Amino acid sequence: MSDLTLEANGGGFQAKATLNDSTLSIVFSGSGDLNAIELLADYLKRVHEAATARTISLGHCDFRQLAFMNSSCFKSFVVWIDTVKNAAAPYKIVFLTDPNLHWQRRSLEALRRLAVSIVTIEIAQS
Amino acid sequence: MTDSSDGRACVLLTLSFEPLAEQIASLRSAVSDLCAPHIAAADELSRLLLATHELLENIVKYSAGGAAEFHLALERAERGLLLRLRTKNRALPERLRDTRQRLDALAAAPDPLAHYDEMIRESAGRHEGSGLGLARILAESEMTLRYQIEREELTIIAEALISERGQP
Repeated sequence: MSDLTLEANGGGFQAKATLNDSTLSIVFSGSGDLNAIELLADYLKRVHEAATARTISLGHCDFRQLAFMNSSCFKSFVVWIDTVKNAAAPYKIVFLTDPNLHWQRRSLEALRRLAVSIVTIEIAQS
Repeated sequence: MTDSSDGRACVLLTLSFEPLAEQIASLRSAVSDLCAPHIAAADELSRLLLATHELLENIVKYSAGGAAEFHLALERAERGLLLRLRTKNRALPERLRDTRQRLDALAAAPDPLAHYDEMIRESAGRHEGSGLGLARILAESEMTLRYQIEREELTIIAEALISERGQP
C-alpha cells in the first residue's frame, strides 16, 4: 500500500509516483513535448518536495512508456537532478529505460554525466 | 541555397507552412514513415527523429511570423545515405544573436560533448527555455550543424551520413 500518490496528466503526457518505504517510484508515459513543459517542471518540483519531506533514499523513474522527451522537458530533469545533488540529504535517482527507445540511452547518459554519484541507468530486459 | 537530388534521393520533402505546435508530432511521424524503409538501423532513425523534432520545435517557438520552411533530403551517397534537414524562418534579432552565439560556440568547442555537458549544467539556472535544442542535435543525433543568417531569416542545416538498409 502506497503512502503517497502524485500524478500529472495532460497534453499527451502522464506521470504517476507512488511511495513505498523509502522508494519513490515514478512511471512516466506518453510524450514529453511542448505541451508537457510546464506540467513536468511543476511535477518534478512536487516530487522533490515530497521526497524531501519524507526523507526518501531513491527516486525510481520508469521511462519504458515514455515515447519521447524534448529539450525543454529534458531540462526539467536537469533542474531536478541539480536540486537533488545540492540538497542537504541527496537521494539516488534511477532511470529504467527501454532499449528499443534509442533516444533514451543518449539523453539519459547525458543526465547521468550531470551527477554520476546520484544517477544510475537501468536497461529493461526486452 | 539549393538542394540537388540528381535522382539519388530516396526521400525529398519540402514544406512551407505557418508552424504550429500541434503539427510537430504528425510531421515527425510522417518523417519516420518516409525514411524508415531506407534506414538500416533503428538507432539512426531515432537520431533523425530527435533532430526533426528539435528543429520543428525551434521554428514553432522562435518564428517571428509568416511561413517557415522545413526541408528533408535522404540521398544515396558514396558510403551510405546523406541525411539533410533544413529549416528556414524569420526570427527576432535577439533570437538571431542567441543562435549565432550558441552555434559558433559549439563549432569552436574542442570537445563538443564536454561543451554539451557544460551547457546542460548551465541550463539548470536558465529561466527561459533550455537553450539545449540545437546542441542536442549535435551531441545526441550526431549531426553536423551550420547556419546562415540573411537579414532577419535564419536557416539551420543539420547533416549526417547514415547507413542504408540492405547495403553492406
